[in-house]
Amino acid sequence: MPEPTALEQLARAEAQAIAVEIEGVRAVVIATVDGFDVASSVSGGADAQRIAALASSIAAIGQVVSTEAGLGRGTSVTVNTASGFALVHSVRRADTDLVIHIIAGEGALLAQVNYRAAEAVRRLEAA
Amino acid sequence: MNEHKILFTGTMGAGKTTAIAAVSETPPVVTDVRNTDASLGKAFTTVGLDFGLLTLDNGDRLRLFGTPGQVRFDFLWKILAQGALGVIILIDNSRPAPVDDLRTYLDGFADELRRLPCVIGVGRRETHPSPDSDAYAAAAAERGLALPVLEVDVRRRGDVLLLIDTLLMQIEADLASRLDA
Repeated sequence: MPEPTALEQLARAEAQAIAVEIEGVRAVVIATVDGFDVASSVSGGADAQRIAALASSIAAIGQVVSTEAGLGRGTSVTVNTASGFALVHSVRRADTDLVIHIIAGEGALLAQVNYRAAEAVRRLEAA
Repeated sequence: MNEHKILFTGTMGAGKTTAIAAVSETPPVVTDVRNTDASLGKAFTTVGLDFGLLTLDNGDRLRLFGTPGQVRFDFLWKILAQGALGVIILIDNSRPAPVDDLRTYLDGFADELRRLPCVIGVGRRETHPSPDSDAYAAAAAERGLALPVLEVDVRRRGDVLLLIDTLLMQIEADLASRLDA
């Protein structure tokens, strides 16, 4: 098995950190824009590969909505649910774009997760 | 004016995005992103949906939706199929096992195909003549389906319109038979 790249190591560290730091986070998946998981931290039997594909679709549809509305580049999508929320943030890099998908249940604070996700975006974009 | 929904599906690279772009009278909505899978010889892949619009001669409007082709996005297939009047399955005859590819979509849309008309469009047959149309028809017949199989080049607007026309004729025939019953 090939050694993980520096980007993969950073993605893994960020995914694990978010899952540990924030109460209520159930899954963090960092994926390629075409839906392959790069790094993940999931609990409760969640399927990281499935979440990666979902993240890719959601990010792409969000981008289309943003473009069609004349609002520029789409940066994130929030899905509010009856018992939690899901966030998808886009990561723009020179070599490869990524998406971060965070699924959180009750007890998680949307603003806190958003803030931490934005921090992860900055780190992944700068690496 | 009536509006109808038609769904395009099929393998990555079969031409779903191209087909909708060939006939849409408005710039199509496209969710193509860079493909990171080096085993697939394609620079971009659809991860959300394609969308286009086409007005028929009678003033009715067709909303054309395209699905992502890759199976890991199959969660979108059922969502995009909701409310569709019919399904067009595009197959790339140059792929290693195109009849198996067809089976993937016949199974993936099995619930829908029990009640919706469907047309199969096979591309790249000029350069890859085998398998022939009978092989695709046989694969559909395995599942109790009698589906038209057309050889098409979806870069040509006329070929895409032929697929749509064939599907619409099936829809009309189904409607007529239900009214007669």
